[in-house]
Amino acid sequence: MKDTYKGRNIRPFRFIVQLLALGFVFSQMVGIPPFGTHPLLRRIFLPNASCRYISEAPTSCYYYQLQDGLTQGYANAYIDVILMLLIVILLIIALGRLWCSWLCPFGLAQEGMTKLREMTGLPPLKVKWSGRVILRRVKSSLLFFTILFSLPIGIGSLGIAGCQSTLALPFCQVCPAKGFFTVFQQLLGIEPWSTTLPWLAIGSLSLFLIATFFVDMAFCRICPMGSVMALMGRFSLPWLRKDPSKCTKCRICLRVCPLDHDRVYEDMEADDVGSEDCTLCGKCVELCPEEGCLTMMYGPISLKSSRRPRDMGLSRMIKKIKEGGNDK
Amino acid sequence: MTNEGPRYLKDKEGYFSKEQRDRTKKRSKEMEAAVSATLKKQKNRPKAMSYFDELHKYEGARYHELKEFHDKGGKIVGTLCVMVPLELVHASGAQVIRMCSGYYEPVHPANELLGDAGLCPMVKSTLGTQMVSSNPIVDLVDMVAGPATCDGKMKLAEILEDWVPVVMMNIPRVKVGESSSKLWVKEIIHLKTKLEELTGNPIKKSTLRKEIKKWNEANQHWSELLKIRKADKPPISGRDAMLVVQATQIDRIDRWNKKMKDLLLELKKLEKKGLFAGEEGAARILLAGSPMMYPNFKIPTIIEESGGTIITDELCTGYRLMADPVIVDGMSKKEIYEALAERYFFPCSCPCFSPNDERIRRMKESIKVFGIEGVVFHTLRGCHLNNLEATKIELALREEGIPMVKLESEYDEGDIEQVRTRVEAFVEMIKARREFKLSHTAEENK
Repeated sequence: MKDTYKGRNIRPFRFIVQLLALGFVFSQMVGIPPFGTHPLLRRIFLPNASCRYISEAPTSCYYYQLQDGLTQGYANAYIDVILMLLIVILLIIALGRLWCSWLCPFGLAQEGMTKLREMTGLPPLKVKWSGRVILRRVKSSLLFFTILFSLPIGIGSLGIAGCQSTLALPFCQVCPAKGFFTVFQQLLGIEPWSTTLPWLAIGSLSLFLIATFFVDMAFCRICPMGSVMALMGRFSLPWLRKDPSKCTKCRICLRVCPLDHDRVYEDMEADDVGSEDCTLCGKCVELCPEEGCLTMMYGPISLKSSRRPRDMGLSRMIKKIKEGGNDK
Repeated sequence: MTNEGPRYLKDKEGYFSKEQRDRTKKRSKEMEAAVSATLKKQKNRPKAMSYFDELHKYEGARYHELKEFHDKGGKIVGTLCVMVPLELVHASGAQVIRMCSGYYEPVHPANELLGDAGLCPMVKSTLGTQMVSSNPIVDLVDMVAGPATCDGKMKLAEILEDWVPVVMMNIPRVKVGESSSKLWVKEIIHLKTKLEELTGNPIKKSTLRKEIKKWNEANQHWSELLKIRKADKPPISGRDAMLVVQATQIDRIDRWNKKMKDLLLELKKLEKKGLFAGEEGAARILLAGSPMMYPNFKIPTIIEESGGTIITDELCTGYRLMADPVIVDGMSKKEIYEALAERYFFPCSCPCFSPNDERIRRMKESIKVFGIEGVVFHTLRGCHLNNLEATKIELALREEGIPMVKLESEYDEGDIEQVRTRVEAFVEMIKARREFKLSHTAEENK
């Protein structure tokens, strides 16, 4: 691409996958069940990339189900939650954080805001190391508080079951996805217009869209679903490999990272550098100028390696000389 | 920056006699001619190299070109280190020359006046050149950009202020932490304003991006050359490769790109024919250590005349000049300057930085990639930083089973025979090791 002075070999492909995932989510809105209507398929809850508040959604993101199950599941010993989590764990093992940067529709929306910022010529605000530590704590505490709120209100003997009407689904109340899908469907006329709009969710949606205009991927930095995936990071199959012997510490990987994930730059010992904040968008792999220093991996298979920028015209001419000699 | 107080060399005009000035000039010219002649004598030398010979020539074509440019009102910026972003200088419309001198003779006038005999000879030579104006190209310089890297370079920049305006650049010498990058970006922007003041042209984002693109192309050509040098019998010698890459410091980069392309295509043809620049069975050497500016090619010449061939180097006057591209992500001005600043700072493995593990890592990687058999570590007298790192590097290389020899040299031809003896012994040792290894593996195969 023009702005990087180096070919991008992951971004176009990722963009297509993101559009497909978006189409997948939006198709539910007009009543097309993506997995079919079999009751067993309705037990599959996705790590993200879907939403309960899509009217025809046959399934939803598991985070809704986690909160709901923790509140409702006291009577049957949370068996539904445990079953659901087992499936989700399998899904996370299979795709890891590819769920974030390749499949999440809100990720695409945030990248759109980044594009908008680039068009205005503003630089992104980078989050310092100290800020990243705080955000990481916010991320895990969001997960903690979701569970803390959902669990007790479902236990009848505690006498706070009355709070269910207001406190149920605590995270969904502030999730930007809820804000987006309710308003969007009402605007399209898929859902009847109602006056009881989820103002909290709409507020957080606007807040994050504005924030992400200035700070790249603002929501990803505190997304609790991402934090669950980060916890599972070492068990999931896709990962980011670094060959420290080839690293020149040029800092390009840190500078271009939309999430300011510093392990790729700092870590000179570990093989797997893509844990915690990394969403496996592959930007560092594309832009690293050292041959084979960073690699996107799926289990033991290497998908894409970083490579030295090349002058294609010159390489072609050199190849010609090589082959020309063979003919003689 | 202006010096208000007494000038360092107040009586510089009258201090040196006309005879001494002329002698320095004459000997410099003779030295360059002699070095150039030995370079031209190399066997299987590509024809495209003649352009680079001409470019480096004392009072050669490049001097006349720059003189014309200067007479027409063009500005010429002198640089003292690899950390000056030349993209920026070119974007301002100025031309660049590298002021670090490789001439031996100007060391004497500097010795007379500076009173520090243990100082790095490259610094002394650069200063001496200025004192007796022994190199006409240096007299064209309108402004000097001098990063304060090592002690010698820092004081050199300060003293040069007596002749030309100097922009001192405060390079952070500790790489860890977030402040170092920020400081360096600010220094680059300071240099930018100074360049704008000098030339009167504001540096536009679009021009800068165009320049970055040209320099990235040059970087790609350089990595293409490195690929050719990986071969068992590279068709280009280490000295020629150094000559080529040092040309970027004084040439117009678009023209350099074109000439480099010709050279690469010719080299590829030579490689196809199986022509080798070195002797048959030459020891594959990696050259590291203190800078070696043309025409101070004493050590590489000795190595390549004693049955070794320099496959690659780890010098700031060689490989490191062109090792990294500028990768800009995003369109904003801040991002472009950040990318530019970081390319000249973070991957640079100059020993003035700490921590500097990059250097050992890069050398180990080069040894693996280029199939290096031995390392020649060259230090200039008084280069403490390189001297101190040499031991560390030697120990690290011992783990890899790679022998290293450390050579200390002066800007002087007196030690040639002594150095030659040591290099010859080193090359013999490498060849003996190779034969031992071969017989060993042959026995194992039986």
